[in-house]
Amino acid sequence: MDFPSSLPPSLFMTGPLGQSDVPDLSFMCSWRDALTLPASSPQGSQDSVPHVAKALLWEPDMPGPLPLLPPGPDPWDPGLTAKDLLFRGGYQFRRHPRAVLDVTEQISRFLWNHGDIAFAPLGRLLLENFKLEGAHSRSKTKTVVSVKRLHQDLGGHQPWGQVASERGWVGCPWAYLSQRQRRFSILGAPILSTSVASLLGELLHEELALCWERLLLDDACTGGALAWVPGRTPGAGQLVYPVGGAMDTLCFQKVSLTPESEPQVLSDPGRIQLRGPVRQVVTRSVQGEALLAVRSDHHCGLWKVSTQGQPAPLQVLQVDKGATGISLSPHLPGELVICSRSGAVCLWSAEDGLRQIYKDPETLVFRDPSSWRWADFTAHPRVLTVGDRTGVKMVDTQGPPGCGLLLFRGGAEASCQKGERVLLTQHLGDLGPESLHPMLHLICTQFSLYLVDERLPLVPLLKWNHGLRSAPLLARLLPPPRPGLPQPLLLASQGGELQLLHLAGVGASTPRLVGLPQALPTRSDSLSAFPLLEPKSHWRLQERLKAPTVGLAAAIPPPASTPALSLFQLSAAGDVFHQRLHLRADPGPNARAPAASWTPQATACCSRWLEALLEVPLTPPVWAAPTFSHRRLLGGFEPQKVEGPAPEGFRRAMAQGRLLQRRDLGLLPTEERPPAPEPGPEDELSERLEAAWEFGAAAWWERRRGGRAGPGKQPKRHKRRTQLSSTFSSLSGRVDLSDAASPAPSPDHTLPEARPQPPRTPPSQELTQEPWAQGVPSERQQTLRDYMAELPLCTDTPGGASALSSQTPSVRATPSRQHAPQDCTVQQLPRGDTPEGTTLISSQTPSVRATPSRPQTPRDGIVQQLPRGDTPEGATPPSSQTPSFLATRSGSQRLRKKPRMGF
Amino acid sequence: MSDFSEELIRPTTEDEQGELCVRSGSGMCFPWLQKHIESIASGGKQEKDFAQTTSACLNFIQEALLKHQWQRAAEYMHSYLQVLEDTDSNKRQGAPEVSEASVETFNTFADRMKNIGITNYLKISLQHALYLLHHGLLEDANRILTQAETWRYGEKSSSQEVLVNLIQAYKGLLQYYSWYKKKMELSKLDKDDYAYNTASQNMLNHSWKTSINLCTLIQIPGVWDPFVKSYIEMLEFYGDQDGAREVLNNYAYDEKFPSNPNAHVYLYNFLKREKAPREKLISVLKILYQIVPSHKLMLEFHRLLRKSDKEEHHKLGLEVLFGILDFAGCTKNITAWKYLAKYLKQTLMGSHLAWVQEEWNSRKSWWPSFHFSYFWAKSNWKDDKTLACEKALGRPRLAPELLCPSPFSQRPGCSRGWLDSGEVVSECYIGSPMGKLRSDAKNNFPGI
Repeated sequence: MDFPSSLPPSLFMTGPLGQSDVPDLSFMCSWRDALTLPASSPQGSQDSVPHVAKALLWEPDMPGPLPLLPPGPDPWDPGLTAKDLLFRGGYQFRRHPRAVLDVTEQISRFLWNHGDIAFAPLGRLLLENFKLEGAHSRSKTKTVVSVKRLHQDLGGHQPWGQVASERGWVGCPWAYLSQRQRRFSILGAPILSTSVASLLGELLHEELALCWERLLLDDACTGGALAWVPGRTPGAGQLVYPVGGAMDTLCFQKVSLTPESEPQVLSDPGRIQLRGPVRQVVTRSVQGEALLAVRSDHHCGLWKVSTQGQPAPLQVLQVDKGATGISLSPHLPGELVICSRSGAVCLWSAEDGLRQIYKDPETLVFRDPSSWRWADFTAHPRVLTVGDRTGVKMVDTQGPPGCGLLLFRGGAEASCQKGERVLLTQHLGDLGPESLHPMLHLICTQFSLYLVDERLPLVPLLKWNHGLRSAPLLARLLPPPRPGLPQPLLLASQGGELQLLHLAGVGASTPRLVGLPQALPTRSDSLSAFPLLEPKSHWRLQERLKAPTVGLAAAIPPPASTPALSLFQLSAAGDVFHQRLHLRADPGPNARAPAASWTPQATACCSRWLEALLEVPLTPPVWAAPTFSHRRLLGGFEPQKVEGPAPEGFRRAMAQGRLLQRRDLGLLPTEERPPAPEPGPEDELSERLEAAWEFGAAAWWERRRGGRAGPGKQPKRHKRRTQLSSTFSSLSGRVDLSDAASPAPSPDHTLPEARPQPPRTPPSQELTQEPWAQGVPSERQQTLRDYMAELPLCTDTPGGASALSSQTPSVRATPSRQHAPQDCTVQQLPRGDTPEGTTLISSQTPSVRATPSRPQTPRDGIVQQLPRGDTPEGATPPSSQTPSFLATRSGSQRLRKKPRMGF
Repeated sequence: MSDFSEELIRPTTEDEQGELCVRSGSGMCFPWLQKHIESIASGGKQEKDFAQTTSACLNFIQEALLKHQWQRAAEYMHSYLQVLEDTDSNKRQGAPEVSEASVETFNTFADRMKNIGITNYLKISLQHALYLLHHGLLEDANRILTQAETWRYGEKSSSQEVLVNLIQAYKGLLQYYSWYKKKMELSKLDKDDYAYNTASQNMLNHSWKTSINLCTLIQIPGVWDPFVKSYIEMLEFYGDQDGAREVLNNYAYDEKFPSNPNAHVYLYNFLKREKAPREKLISVLKILYQIVPSHKLMLEFHRLLRKSDKEEHHKLGLEVLFGILDFAGCTKNITAWKYLAKYLKQTLMGSHLAWVQEEWNSRKSWWPSFHFSYFWAKSNWKDDKTLACEKALGRPRLAPELLCPSPFSQRPGCSRGWLDSGEVVSECYIGSPMGKLRSDAKNNFPGI
């Protein structure tokens, strides 16, 4: 293989990052071709004016990318922002502002919203060991503070949350309880208050720091979750990407590309439901065999895509510590490498099973807390690159473990800045063995991109300051549009920015960037294609378009007169956007990107998409409905013989701690029609106004009352109860009552009732009242809740909601009790289902050997290789294993994932 | 031309860095952290101080450049420079070269930049010179470099020193060009001519200056291929073989230098020109083999080894061939396959089956599917019949025990079959000591 006969000059210094003494000569990168050219052709010195590399310019067809598919049915929540996490005060007094986590506000909110979690455990502890008694009186000891009582108060205590305070209720509604509590707090404060607060504060701080780190850099989607699987003809292929609110349904969408027009989406996509969010999708054709590897947080799966485009599952792997990267071999079919957070890197092939080739919990160059690891292949099929935040190493899989050679080092060698870290490494020879750059590796940091040749380790051949304003986690190298032209290299950042660079230098010449890097339109640039909206919807659309980019794929339409390029982007909201670019035929020296404009088709497409988007319900607010101690209230009085079913139902509802409903009060649904204005023949209002005009309003009123006094007595009593129950229903927040039987809704009851929605138990009830939740920490409860949300509530149909809502807690509790003993390790197994039609074939072919992993299979980082179809021992497959998820998912709308600590 | 519209902006001082990017707790630096902090602070006082204005301006320039909006970028650049000049700030260095600019515009721009960023004077001068060089204006470039060479500001730091060296080296390179031109002219002249003498005198002067300029830089660790190459050429021309050898040896074997394959290639080529003994050549290439087993000189290395008398060299020759064919980019190298087929035959006839087995052992698990899969057999046969034949000739010798079908049998679904037969081989070789195999594998792929 050719090696450049003359490398670009560069200084080589060893040392740590940000060494100020070393001149950063990386600016020479763009000049390097100029330097090497005369030297490489000393024979033809007359030709000393080097040929100026022809600049390429890709012109977008539209000013911005267009939505390719309608928005998904699940609501999307942009999640936490810096405003939620950072301390807002005191910022302007600092010269160099720093990010300070706002723990105090969060802790107060937490105590307020989750008093049960914050205080109840301590109360339970105290219950056994705490006895505070006064002096002996004559007959018996006088209990000063009864912890049992306190606990009872607190156990179900959940004061009004944010929503309540927005309504203007200031102050604790449980003030009448505070006498006892205040007494206790005076007595116990010196000992107890600090311990609870400090413990909780520590945990909360940890959690906040984690959230903040994730906000700054979410490395889960490194590599991207969108892939293009080419089909049999050059214009056809399919996009593979996750959909759904939890990004846990793998979608296979057939797309046909034409040289001149927008891509056509063909038929309904095939879907595979997985048990976990899809983070990375990798596809590659090796020796004519198309393979698809998928990484979830704790699972990796391998599919084979047939020439017809049907995926057939090959194997599934469970990664206990969490998988961070997966790469498919460009050399050998069915071989891939995965890395786990434990620092282990394993070679995995469908035939030979797992083999650990590298394991180091420490980072390569210097100590860095990140557990992110990455691995990729090199030009030698038995040599891999293993990367972390500090550097990249080449490891021979056949050599003794632990040995290797650093390919890239975060330090003075690459004149890295202080605080610079590796965010992505990629082998650029991934276009197969015939790639133009089989030895080149791309390394991206938050500041620069580096090109490193594996034959010349540590010295980057090219360094370029990309200037992206968020983390570049996605990169794609494409084949040259025409033979002899440079290869386009796409770089996408999490924030949605896209850059297109051109990489030239084949064979004996050094790789270099040709032309000026080009910024491509982002999704936010498409805002102008959408119709004008009212501010709230506009803001919503803007948020949606600004969603982080989590996938990038490019496809080349069948050859035409001008080479074209189809770009697909996947956003965190699950939207797939598309943009077509074509190569500018002859960009002159003054080439400027011409302003493309929207076509009527494009704006029509955008309006259709927007309509569908606005139909998607908003995310229900994360707020737990209050529950309260009712036992005490119940214990207060003896059951009296009251006639009628109403008090019975009332008592039963209170005892069960569920929502009070109309029929509990013994009211017939027909009586509870909301009072509608009566458009009678006589106009009451004008009558009344008339009376008021003549100073006879009071008389008029008396007249009206007098006329209705007789029959109005009975309904009046009902009315009071109605008010009571409506108070309850407003307490329960956004939980939909059975709408048919609903009383006059409280004014801020904003959810559109028309939408069928499965009944839900208020989360706090799940939290506090169900036995399974008692000893389970809150995060686990969250996991369980998510898990339970996965289970189809097969009986709930929107029509029967009123009957069900009372039973919901028990329905929910049943599966959870089954799974509670497993300590919340929900076995997430991608089920062996394939999109329409293929299910049977693939599941019946016994082609996949259930290979037990080799004896030397590492048990540490990545364990338990699960061949398809096997269930792990102990994990009773829940009823939802039946393939009911294939297309009909509309019925099982799930609860949104809730942030872990209620902010 | 737009190559040079690259913008080069980076914070140069510690102070600046603190402003532009705030580091998080993990020690990692996030350029986008500032954005987050500003987003929460936007409710409060609107800070519009100098730093913010300039950074906003910088962002606009960057954006305009990336969108190829030259006119806009130039406008922003103008106001940016003005802002910088107005406040006499020399902290920030920004040098976006707008591609629209002609050479003259660039000249004035660069001069202006030099005056603004005094601390970056050398760097900007170098960039300026390189730009001129790229446009073929060697004279002007030389002038700029000469100016920069003599420039001093404040205390001479080590980074300045390196830059000065680099500038001198580029000057040397330019002198080398003119020297080369003269050499070409000289070769056309008659030796007895009077002009010849003056020309050669001139050349001597040149070479003396050039060598001073070049030799200081190439002592500093780094990759200096063009400089070393021209320096060696001049030394050789004047018959200073020892000096050239010393320079090359230093360039190739100094521990402080990165392992540059070209250093060994230059040394090898020099020794070859010198007609050095084969033993010497082999020792140089052996090191190159350890660094880059896929280098195209490896075939030459193999030929040298084959001709050698030593048994160990013959063995290494086999290793080298296998090493070349390990790489993805070399799978279609017909010469290598040809050599392999021939050499395998030779080795087996020389009853060195153990060598072949040793090489094959580490490859038996993946070579069948890497080289001899049904897919490759088919596509090779379609694209390049000679290659297919060579591969077919080599293969049965590699695993003679293997009763595998010919790659041309067109059996559908055969690729699995190959893999399986590969496993059969692995059973055949179970007797081989595992530990040895491992260490061999390491030798086999040195440098890893």
